[in-house]
Amino acid sequence: MFEKLVELIGNYVEVEAGQIVPESRFMEDLGFTSFDFMSMLGELEEEFDVEIDQKEAANIRTVQEAVEYLEKISG
Amino acid sequence: MASTIRDILVDSEALYGPEDAIRYKIGRDTIETKSYTQLKEDSESFSCILQGLKEQGNHIAITGMTSYAWLVAYFGTVNSGSVAVPLDVSLPAVEMCELIDRADVTVLVIDEIRLDVIAIAKKECPKLKYIISMQKEESDEEILSLSQLFVQYKGKYTSALNPDSLATIMFTSGTTGKSKGVMLTHRNLAEDATCLDMKIPPRTVVLSVLPIHHAYCLSMDILKGLSLGSVICINDSLLRVAKNIKLFQPNMILMVPLMIETFAKKLEEVAGLPKEVVKKEVFGEQLHTICSGGAYLNPAYIDLFNSYGITILQGYGMTECAPVISTSLSWNIKKESVGQLIPNCEAKVVDSEIWVRGSSVMLGYYKMPDETAETLEDGWLKTGDLGYVDQEGFVFLTGRKKNLIITKNGENVSPEELENKLGENRIVQEVLVREKDGVIEAEIFPDYEYIKKKEISDIQGTLQQLIDEYNQKAVAYKKIYRLTVRETEFEKTPSKKIKRY
Repeated sequence: MFEKLVELIGNYVEVEAGQIVPESRFMEDLGFTSFDFMSMLGELEEEFDVEIDQKEAANIRTVQEAVEYLEKISG
Repeated sequence: MASTIRDILVDSEALYGPEDAIRYKIGRDTIETKSYTQLKEDSESFSCILQGLKEQGNHIAITGMTSYAWLVAYFGTVNSGSVAVPLDVSLPAVEMCELIDRADVTVLVIDEIRLDVIAIAKKECPKLKYIISMQKEESDEEILSLSQLFVQYKGKYTSALNPDSLATIMFTSGTTGKSKGVMLTHRNLAEDATCLDMKIPPRTVVLSVLPIHHAYCLSMDILKGLSLGSVICINDSLLRVAKNIKLFQPNMILMVPLMIETFAKKLEEVAGLPKEVVKKEVFGEQLHTICSGGAYLNPAYIDLFNSYGITILQGYGMTECAPVISTSLSWNIKKESVGQLIPNCEAKVVDSEIWVRGSSVMLGYYKMPDETAETLEDGWLKTGDLGYVDQEGFVFLTGRKKNLIITKNGENVSPEELENKLGENRIVQEVLVREKDGVIEAEIFPDYEYIKKKEISDIQGTLQQLIDEYNQKAVAYKKIYRLTVRETEFEKTPSKKIKRY
């Protein structure tokens, strides 16, 4: 899951994969805008065939939190 | 040109009656549609509901994601001579209730995703008489069911409307930190939406992705769209814009610059492929126009999108002007400009500030006579934007006169509001909030004496914790993403205010 996420992150921001760690924060550290983040979640929905709750997603700040959330909803 | 919102609906229904007006998703991929006739009839039934509850003429708040129910409630409200108060569905409950109370709202129409608001509103909003749920199937003692009310009050509603009567109060951030209720009449909204012929053919498919409580979305997606006989498709979530583009295959989308930037990244990501393939992949087969508004767009994007066969039309406006002041047209673009004044608007420049006058200028701010007097002068609206207008009426912007931060998604944030909140902490002696590189940042000069007394060793960490605590409670667009700690005081103006620039 982490690797897949790192790959997708590369589509939105110019950060080398090696620089992305679980603690990286999407907006503060990686330079995501709020809409970048939303769009990436949309891609993840497609990729993993899950439904992401926009309200819950708003609380996700780090890559690790995103991985945990995705693991939770994809059961 | 229509002079009331009701005219827009009635005229379009006469022309396009059985054809699709609104398309939206139910479930994951099923599309449901409503015709112009259904929209008009359901709106009239909503007017009958207000009449039946004896609330016709009062202030009706509507909050929720964009939905057919939202639109019916809006049209039913304004077309019965009542005043609609659209509220941002993402506002914290306490803030939303404060606005409900301040706008003298008697009926709240609400999406059940905000059940938290209902609990507080009952206690904090004494003028509120009815709460109507958009989803609830059966009414109970406290909350009425919209679908039951429809069955009960279904009917026709026709009555003459004064074009200059108040139709809508829309809240916008103020420079003092307190949001202001912009009072817009039927004429303000209807003429702003219909006075310019953009040569958009009927049955154009529009995907509405912006929040419905914004003037730009309500006026240009909905009112203009309906006046032209468009098919308006509702995007169910910001997560799914890309997916919904493929599903609905729109011809046109209204966006804020933030979204355009994200799409630009997607174009770059697949830059090696032929442009026709990329365009189809990212924007579907039918998209030809994106309208940009709400905040400043870097003109470089206009060229980039153009190379994929997509025209970006940049516009300019503000809620106080219902909201469009100027717009580019595909056959009439000056790239560095935010477009040409629309026919109902004239402009002049006073001390480098753009002032506008015309049929879309608001009545004033609701119950804020001082702020109204500061903003309106002899019918002229002081925009707070610095710039100039050329001989052909093209508007060029050079900066903001006020301190107001306009984020890339078009939200207005008053830095003073955030500064006041942070300044409440004993450790903060001086604080400045501003926008830099697209995010909001705070610069703090801490109280070093207090730090010494309390033996705080990690100053940066302590202040960051403060920011984190603030962010937890703040609505997304008011969150602070960067912190700088100062060792010296800020430079001051002669009146002892912090120099902002």
